[in-house]
Amino acid sequence: MSTLRSIGNRTTVPFGHFLRFALRVMGDVYRLRVMQFFGEVLRQAGILVTGSVLIVLGLVFILGLQCGIEGAYGARAVGAPSVSGAFTALCDLREVTPYAFGYMMAAKVGTGIVAELGSMRISDEIDALEVMGFDSLLYLCATRLLGMWMVLPFVYIAAVAFGFVGSYIAVVNQIGEVSAGGYFQIFWQFQNPVDLLYSAIKGMLMATMVVLVGCYYGYYASGGPVGVGTATAKSMVVNIFGIHAIGMVGTQLFWGGNARAPIGG
Amino acid sequence: MLRAVGERTFLPLREFIETIGSMGVLTGKTLTSAVRPPYPYGKEFVTQFLFAVRLCWFPMIVASVAFTYGPSGVQAANFLNLFGAIDRLGGLFIVAVVREFAPLVCAIVMAGVAGTAICADLGARKIREELDALQVLGVDPIKNLVVPRFLALMLVTGMFNVYAVIFGTFGGMLVTVTNGAPLGPFFATYFTNATPTELWGSLLKTVMFGAIIAIVCCYKGLTAKGGAEGVGRAVNQAVVISFLGIGAFNYVFTQTLLATHPELTLVR
Repeated sequence: MSTLRSIGNRTTVPFGHFLRFALRVMGDVYRLRVMQFFGEVLRQAGILVTGSVLIVLGLVFILGLQCGIEGAYGARAVGAPSVSGAFTALCDLREVTPYAFGYMMAAKVGTGIVAELGSMRISDEIDALEVMGFDSLLYLCATRLLGMWMVLPFVYIAAVAFGFVGSYIAVVNQIGEVSAGGYFQIFWQFQNPVDLLYSAIKGMLMATMVVLVGCYYGYYASGGPVGVGTATAKSMVVNIFGIHAIGMVGTQLFWGGNARAPIGG
Repeated sequence: MLRAVGERTFLPLREFIETIGSMGVLTGKTLTSAVRPPYPYGKEFVTQFLFAVRLCWFPMIVASVAFTYGPSGVQAANFLNLFGAIDRLGGLFIVAVVREFAPLVCAIVMAGVAGTAICADLGARKIREELDALQVLGVDPIKNLVVPRFLALMLVTGMFNVYAVIFGTFGGMLVTVTNGAPLGPFFATYFTNATPTELWGSLLKTVMFGAIIAIVCCYKGLTAKGGAEGVGRAVNQAVVISFLGIGAFNYVFTQTLLATHPELTLVR
């Protein structure tokens, strides 16, 4: 019984702590208190665009190529190379782009935030902010969250496009068993704007979670330079859990009861 | 002006190429000191192996069930249901899970969980100057620290691939049952489509993933610098480079395997 209680305390207490932190940061954004540091918000958005976007798009592109070759070989196996567009449409838009986006956001942006905030915490810069009368949570975490929210929807659309281009290159140029027109006809039939919306919801939820987890682990880092490294590694574990949970629940919720494919009645 | 533009463009590129080259050198050194006697790394190998297993087993199960339940489970089952051919899901799972998603999930979890921990550990030792102290004592850090981690990660990643396949298949069973279909046809098409080539391809791929992750994370840990921010930044770069390396290698390997083994692309 005591073991059970200790396991419970080890997992639920930090989770509750994290939830309270996340709600406070989101509340700061929602009540527009963050607008007093709007310059910092824009700076964080700019750092995201110049520093991370290309790498995120790179992973999506590589996995788009992957979807393309699997789709092309799979469609050839059933004797209908022209339907590889159906496979890549489902694979790119609904599943692989959100996952690749989430993974790379966690790897590049999430751990970057932990490293940055953690080193500020252990060199007492956050305490210095508090002494100067700044609300450090507002200045450091809420500005980052709003900065991400301003930029990421556009980045996500760009990521979807990169995945599509990757699949197109793999199916039409590399394997080359279907013409561009034949590929696009099936490809566009198997998706519609609602799918894009659902996919973007999944991607945005993952990205929001990644930023909040990154801020949490960085803001409460302790234990010197070594502690920053450990916190960075730990945040990655939490992110991997969260991304898969969001992906699985999202898929079940959005497409579980309805195939949303143009076949039959 | 022109020179400034040139430097801004080519300096990061040169840095990138230098990093790749140094990682290649580290790979060579690791391989040679792994096979050349003496072999002092046995105990450390066992410790690292258990460390990676303990850290990764639970994220692994969650990730592989989630990843196969969503993409290759729900989406594929929806698609097949429209044709009334839900029994073909098993055959699809061989393609999707054994060839593609199990190795990918395996590599992502190993890089994100074990790789980051190894990088943070080595980076902490580096900035506390423990590695320099080891060298002064005449202990070779590559032979005693990198080689056991390299071998352990290769073994663990390959081993976990089997578990990822098993739990991925469990995800497929879950989808079949939620669609109200019997499990018998699922397993029938699963086993008629399974080939040994598929399995060894999957295992070889994950072992190579393990090697990539170990080299990248050890390299970034060993070259961590810059005090407080250094270790965090090293972990950040290590996981980014690992993910990109995994994606690139996955593409090349799958393409080569499919092109050289046409029997993989038959539907039975």
